[in-house]
Amino acid sequence: MRVEVRGLSKSFGAVRAVDDLSFTVEPGSITGFLGPNGAGKTTTLRMALGLEQPDAGTATFDGVAYADLLSPVRTVGAVLETAFHPARSGRNHLRVYCRAAGLPVSRADEVLAQVGLADAGRRRAGGYSLGMRQRLALATALLGDPAVLVLDEPANGLDPEGIQWLRGFLRHLAHTEGRTVLVSSHLLAEMEQTADRVVIVGAGRLVREGSIAELRSGTQGSGAVLVRSPEAGRLAEVLRVAGLSVGPAEDGRVTVTGTTPATVGAHAFRAGVELHELRAETSGLEELYFRLTAGQEQFAASQGAAR
Amino acid sequence: MTALVRAEWTKLFTTRVWIGLLAGACVLVAGFVVLFTSFAGDTPGSAQGGPPGGLPPVGTEQFEQLVLAIGANVTVLFLILGIIGMTQEYRHRTATPTFLTTPRRGRVVVAKLTAYALVAVPFALVVVAVNYGVVAVAAGARGAVPELTGDNLRVLASSGLALVIYTVIGVGLGALVRNQVGAIVGGLVYLFVVEAIVRQISAIAGAYKWLPGGALEALTATLDGPDLLEPWQGGLLLLGYGLVAALLGTLLAVRRDVV
Ligand SMILES: Nc1ncnc2c1ncn2[C@@H]1O[C@H](COP(=O)(O)OP(=O)(O)O)[C@@H](O)[C@H]1O
Ligand SMILES: [Mg+2]
Repeated sequence: MRVEVRGLSKSFGAVRAVDDLSFTVEPGSITGFLGPNGAGKTTTLRMALGLEQPDAGTATFDGVAYADLLSPVRTVGAVLETAFHPARSGRNHLRVYCRAAGLPVSRADEVLAQVGLADAGRRRAGGYSLGMRQRLALATALLGDPAVLVLDEPANGLDPEGIQWLRGFLRHLAHTEGRTVLVSSHLLAEMEQTADRVVIVGAGRLVREGSIAELRSGTQGSGAVLVRSPEAGRLAEVLRVAGLSVGPAEDGRVTVTGTTPATVGAHAFRAGVELHELRAETSGLEELYFRLTAGQEQFAASQGAAR
Repeated sequence: MTALVRAEWTKLFTTRVWIGLLAGACVLVAGFVVLFTSFAGDTPGSAQGGPPGGLPPVGTEQFEQLVLAIGANVTVLFLILGIIGMTQEYRHRTATPTFLTTPRRGRVVVAKLTAYALVAVPFALVVVAVNYGVVAVAAGARGAVPELTGDNLRVLASSGLALVIYTVIGVGLGALVRNQVGAIVGGLVYLFVVEAIVRQISAIAGAYKWLPGGALEALTATLDGPDLLEPWQGGLLLLGYGLVAALLGTLLAVRRDVV
């Protein structure tokens, strides 16, 4: 099932939280919805799910708006915030939504097992750890066995094992089961490891959209490439001749700016220079995202608050 | 819709709020019955030409209607039951999964109103039964078990009805205000401060009979009080208030963003 966001816009007073945003999410892959805090990710997802009214634009699931879906729970599962009544057990929490959606209450136990929460199901949700809450929220989203999964910052509050588990789980849902997965995050590194494609937003607007590999090659690093070689002096000379801007060779290291590791590697290979290390100090993508984040944080600070 | 109503019952019965409120209502009613019965007849009631506020003696018709109507005094707990039923969705942010499951939000509010109106019926029966049971024991100890006929039965039925309607008003009020503490405090201040003042100030006391408290008093009061509507009119007016609160609450829930 394809998710299409077209021209979504929403303002809160003077803050333009989402500004004419359009992108598409394809089935069978994980799409990362990446942007610094306050970029408008949560607002976009909440509008797509009919919880907030957009000022303009639409979001559709195979052409149908969320509120018009015949069976929303069986179509889209959403993990937005970890919201439970603290006195209700995780299992009873799930049973409430089974009842409301007309699903058999046995689904509650099935999804609890699926997210590894079977043992804690009968305990009060108020006593759950942050990681368990995230799992319960995920279990709620899975109740209707939906074709589309939407997750807002699911890695928040998870420990490294939890993040690892979530990553594998989402991959399974998307790659093996062919579901459409849209997952938001403000961490580039997290998205690079999880997502097949990313949609990058800043200040409510689309910044880039594409596969991680595409974005990496498309964003020329003005960033530095670091090379270590036993013949650092000769390498520096070769690169200088090739017209690259090369820093001084020190301690067997050379720093080249305005290029990519691939270009430096090619020159070294042709000249027959032995390399011990070759890496981008910051990738173009990282730099792009860093600029976005820095700009955004000033923006958010000037607006007073970020959700 | 049946599914949504059942979901609301699951929500209600998987936390303990209802036990506290129902037990509290029963204890209050039982306590007041015992209190009233022990002081009954100490001062002659106004019906006997004494000062107003005195309690008629056990065994009189006035006494029986007075103690059998005590159940109507815990309407405020049923109001709170309705308020909590609605506002806990916002307080614990479960409004998000609830409205994700049922994007047509009006249906959620209608389901809540139905579920709470229906659940208030057995709850009200329990309170009314406790009321009568304690009266039977306490007054019976003084030799006069009230009969379950005629006016006595009508008094019990009116307080039961009032309890159910106040639950519905609570749900509507909760949908309007959304903030749990705000709705409860607002409801209490309104009933016990605002209406009490309106009732006292003669220039505007005429308005009192048209207010929810006045309507409740018309439906359930047995002692002489201020100018009131007929009981059936009071009941209808009260029901009207419940429906208006519910309607406004539904409209607002549908139009406002879920926060
Ligand atoms: N209910 C709201 N009222 C006022 N401002 C809001 C509200 N929700 C979000 N915002 C503002 O909209 C912008 C985008 O917020 P959000 O969608 O939460 O961003 P993200 O999820 O990417 O961090 C922020 O500036 C935030 O302060
Ligand atoms: Mg967010």
